[in-house]
Amino acid sequence: MKHTETELLELKKAISDMWSLVHSQLEKAKTSLLTGDEELARVVMSREKRVNAFELKIDSDCENYIALYSPVAIDLRFVLSVLKINKTLERIGDFADGIARFVLETDGHNQHLQLLKELKIEDMFDCVLEMLEKDKLALEEENTAMAGVVFTIDNKVDDCYSDAILVLAKHITAHPEDVLYSLNVVTLLRKIERIGDHCNNIMEELVFYLDAKVLKHQKTAQDKDTE
Amino acid sequence: MKLEAKNVNFFYGDFHALKDINMQIDSNSVTAFIGPSGCGKSTFLRLFNRMNDLIDGTHLDGECIVGGQNIYDKSVSVDELRKTVGMVFQKPNPFPKSIFENVAYGLRVNGVKDKKIIAETVEKSLKQAALWEEVKDKLKKSAFELSGGQQQRLCIARALAISPSVLLMDEPASALDPISTSKIEELIFELKHDYTVVIVTHNMQQAARVSDKTGFFMLGELIEFNDTKKIFLSPDKEQTQNYITGRFG
Repeated sequence: MKHTETELLELKKAISDMWSLVHSQLEKAKTSLLTGDEELARVVMSREKRVNAFELKIDSDCENYIALYSPVAIDLRFVLSVLKINKTLERIGDFADGIARFVLETDGHNQHLQLLKELKIEDMFDCVLEMLEKDKLALEEENTAMAGVVFTIDNKVDDCYSDAILVLAKHITAHPEDVLYSLNVVTLLRKIERIGDHCNNIMEELVFYLDAKVLKHQKTAQDKDTE
Repeated sequence: MKLEAKNVNFFYGDFHALKDINMQIDSNSVTAFIGPSGCGKSTFLRLFNRMNDLIDGTHLDGECIVGGQNIYDKSVSVDELRKTVGMVFQKPNPFPKSIFENVAYGLRVNGVKDKKIIAETVEKSLKQAALWEEVKDKLKKSAFELSGGQQQRLCIARALAISPSVLLMDEPASALDPISTSKIEELIFELKHDYTVVIVTHNMQQAARVSDKTGFFMLGELIEFNDTKKIFLSPDKEQTQNYITGRFG
């Protein structure tokens, strides 16, 4: 194998490792939120620095690869995709950190665990975790066949989000004393919904890298056309 | 002026050097040919001003069309063709004459005697070749006193002096340092406003920087011909990708 290919493999391994870390962060954030486990929330917050360190390292590796090897074609698309996926994974890491902070700021919020169940937050988490896994698998297997599945799951996340907002509105009406907490929950729901969008974006980047197709904003453009 | 190759097959004796090449080259554009050594890209380039005619035992099938005329028709004068299709080679090859006379040479050979016209054309050509400012005070000095990069631009000026429509360049910057290379590339970029430029290069970044379209040749076949942006971002053929990413062979 040529040394340029070895460099690309190392870059792929680095982004894959970061992916595993972010997935683990999100899983822990989910568990800490749904069980009120403050200790686990602290673990997530302490490991956020590792996610940030990954981002800096991968950014630097991409810059060096472009500067030294002037990649073209699939190699160029790979490095450009990794740069964007890197940024996106870091944002997902931030959301996991934000969810962990929510757990600590609401003292485990044990009195509200039933509300979180009614909001089906666990389902939303499971969806975005599945999306993140499928994205990672697509990179590892260099196969975007499951792109459609990922996009469909994101639609499900969006539906869950809309349903949860309605449930929350009813809860606020019935329990006006919970309005401040509920507003924070809206932010929380928004974070999970955004993670779904980010997982979509990652798959779009993988399609650009592997299939040389640009999917970005196509749905928006189609929506506008039909209006 | 447009160039076109129709079903071009070319042979060096028994060796089939170009296989069924079909290509259309737009006027006022830069087209780059890339590919490994021996792939036929220089042979193909040279067909367009009949430079291969000078090699014994060669044989061409098909048509090479320049400005609508098959240049291999018996009615075509090679001398006239070469006024229309100029050529710049890998190594600068100035004549052992002054800078001025190098550029004026083609005009004199073609019967131009008016000193004013010659002087004006020399100046214009040197300006087009981005060399005028560097040599305007030493036009009578020997061309050999110029640097390699300046000599190559002098050769370009010499080619431009006879007002061709097409400029063929066979690795014009491969023997030059990065600064001279950059000047030649800038020049190529400017020249396309007035000329149809075709360049053979081993430097893929150079092809990417200067050309509008790129043709990838391998083993005498034109594997892919497309917009340069497309070739270097998402080529259609795996062979192209393997070559430009360095995975070839």
